[in-house]
Amino acid sequence: MNATVATTLRARLDALPSQSLLGTQEYFVNMGPQHPSTHGVLRLVLKLDGETVHQVIPVLGYIHRGIEKICEHSNYRQLVHLTDRMDYLSALANNWAATMVVEKAAAMETNSRIEAIRTLVTELQRIHSHQLWWGVFGMDLGAFTPFFYGFRDREILTDVFERTIGGRLTMNYIQPGGVMHDIHPELVADVKAFLAVFKPRLDEYEALLSENVIVQERLRGVGVLTAQDAVALGATGPVLRASGVAHDLRKAEPYGLYGQVAFDVPVGSRGDCWDRYAVRMQEMRQSIRIVEQLLDNIPEGKHFLVKPAAKIKVKPGVWYSHLETARGVLGAMLVSTGGEAPYRVHFRTPNFNNLWAVTTTATGGRVADLVAILSSLDLVIPDIDR
Amino acid sequence: MGLVTDNLPGALLPLPGGGALLTAIDQVVNWSRANSLWPLTFGTSCCAIEVMMATGAARHDLARFGAEVARPSPRQADLLIIAGTIVKKMAPRLRTLWEQMAEPRYVIATGSCAISGGPFLYHSYTTIRGADEVIPVDVYVPGCPPRPEALLYGLLTLQKMIREGTTLARPGEVRKPVLAALPDGMTLHQVRAEIAELVQETATVDRAAAATVGASYASASRV
Ligand code: SF4
Repeated sequence: MNATVATTLRARLDALPSQSLLGTQEYFVNMGPQHPSTHGVLRLVLKLDGETVHQVIPVLGYIHRGIEKICEHSNYRQLVHLTDRMDYLSALANNWAATMVVEKAAAMETNSRIEAIRTLVTELQRIHSHQLWWGVFGMDLGAFTPFFYGFRDREILTDVFERTIGGRLTMNYIQPGGVMHDIHPELVADVKAFLAVFKPRLDEYEALLSENVIVQERLRGVGVLTAQDAVALGATGPVLRASGVAHDLRKAEPYGLYGQVAFDVPVGSRGDCWDRYAVRMQEMRQSIRIVEQLLDNIPEGKHFLVKPAAKIKVKPGVWYSHLETARGVLGAMLVSTGGEAPYRVHFRTPNFNNLWAVTTTATGGRVADLVAILSSLDLVIPDIDR
Repeated sequence: MGLVTDNLPGALLPLPGGGALLTAIDQVVNWSRANSLWPLTFGTSCCAIEVMMATGAARHDLARFGAEVARPSPRQADLLIIAGTIVKKMAPRLRTLWEQMAEPRYVIATGSCAISGGPFLYHSYTTIRGADEVIPVDVYVPGCPPRPEALLYGLLTLQKMIREGTTLARPGEVRKPVLAALPDGMTLHQVRAEIAELVQETATVDRAAAATVGASYASASRV
């Protein structure tokens, strides 16, 4: 099938009258909370006319665990481990966001070694997360091979994490005042070995999925999110950048060592599924660039400056800080009335805002496109519900 | 006949003259059930990544144990792997899914969340403290999240249980793993009561602290 045929096919489908001579009726279909394409327990109520989507209404709360409330009962160290369970595919970035706000509130210092380790592992996890997304994205489009390829390479990186951190998924590594353990002596060699394997594999990914005509046809022009809409919805991360807004906190407000490494922020132009796909593929290459720059330059020093057992006390006040996870801006807000536990904790999670893009982009399209759109938004549901 | 006589001694009684008497049809049936489990794709949170995805992918390869035919529809599945936290809003759906599954159906609860509430045991106002509050659970696989190997071990355990015919079938039956480890004289009921008390205690609002907060909120400097 070449591109022109498929385009005309789509054009012909779109030209079909939505109301047949016999007359059709709008009807509602529940997609989820148990549905393989919603990646968890998201429920979408779809108002359909035949195959055409008229309205999408997300219904949330099927995995609302009350993390923010539990944080109020935890001390400033304990609350960090709960953040692993929000966006578990960016566990380290989540840890870091919570750590950052605690460090800001308690005026804790870090050194350059700590910052280098944090930047390195978080950037590796961006690759880790995108690998999974790539595999699942392929699966949602109907191809099972990407799932196996993505996971095959992800396992190598998982082993790298496991050696230093001890966990495969919920890492709980970045702590206020440092990191949990020093890096494994073999980490640098391990990461280099991984990059040697993964770089050619990334080209293989491109050959397998990106250059596939069917994939291109299913993604181009589907689910267009305009820059205006994206900003209005508060979308961040690859979803926002695919719409052409070059906003990345790693560049806009550098934290960690991001100010000292060279990397580009990939942006799209049309904001369709294809752009969101391409942006993430480019981001993996940029992350590799960052990792390579950091790898041989981890400064010497201590890996923690505050003993893990030391109690953290915070003066009364309100603090906020944010960073860029694999999915967008994760903000952490802390209200303290003094003492060892926060009065209120709130997380501004990227997926919550990104989710609403589906309500504007999927209407007027077809149900099969809805699945592609959902997958291109790369949602993690527990991060939405918290 | 070699396969059956070798694997299930006593199931077939050879009769003089070349015939055979099937003595325990259950054993044959259970043996085939154990090796052809069809799991339902059901993941609510973090555990799903490790348990549903990583275990099913190339490295850990669930297919080696005959349980890789994951079905998205409960009507085609007979194994429910609960991967993740179950909250109050999801609990009725979990029950519905389980009821829609083909009998005989088996349940594996993976992760501390599905066993006891896990990291959300205390202070959470939504989490169900263990999926066995809702449906009967045959095998518990601990971990947060469990490693894929742990699920494989859980699956092998379930297969053994199916072959022996010791799985749970009735709703309301609970076989908590802690029971084996409980000290003498302590009952599950006491443990539950204590947890309920703790949960109650921490769920109440500290009114005195809440009153002072308004003032400090106003005086707090925005940083
Ligand atoms: S047991 Fe741990 S990893 Fe599994 S769902 Fe619960 S919090 Fe997530």
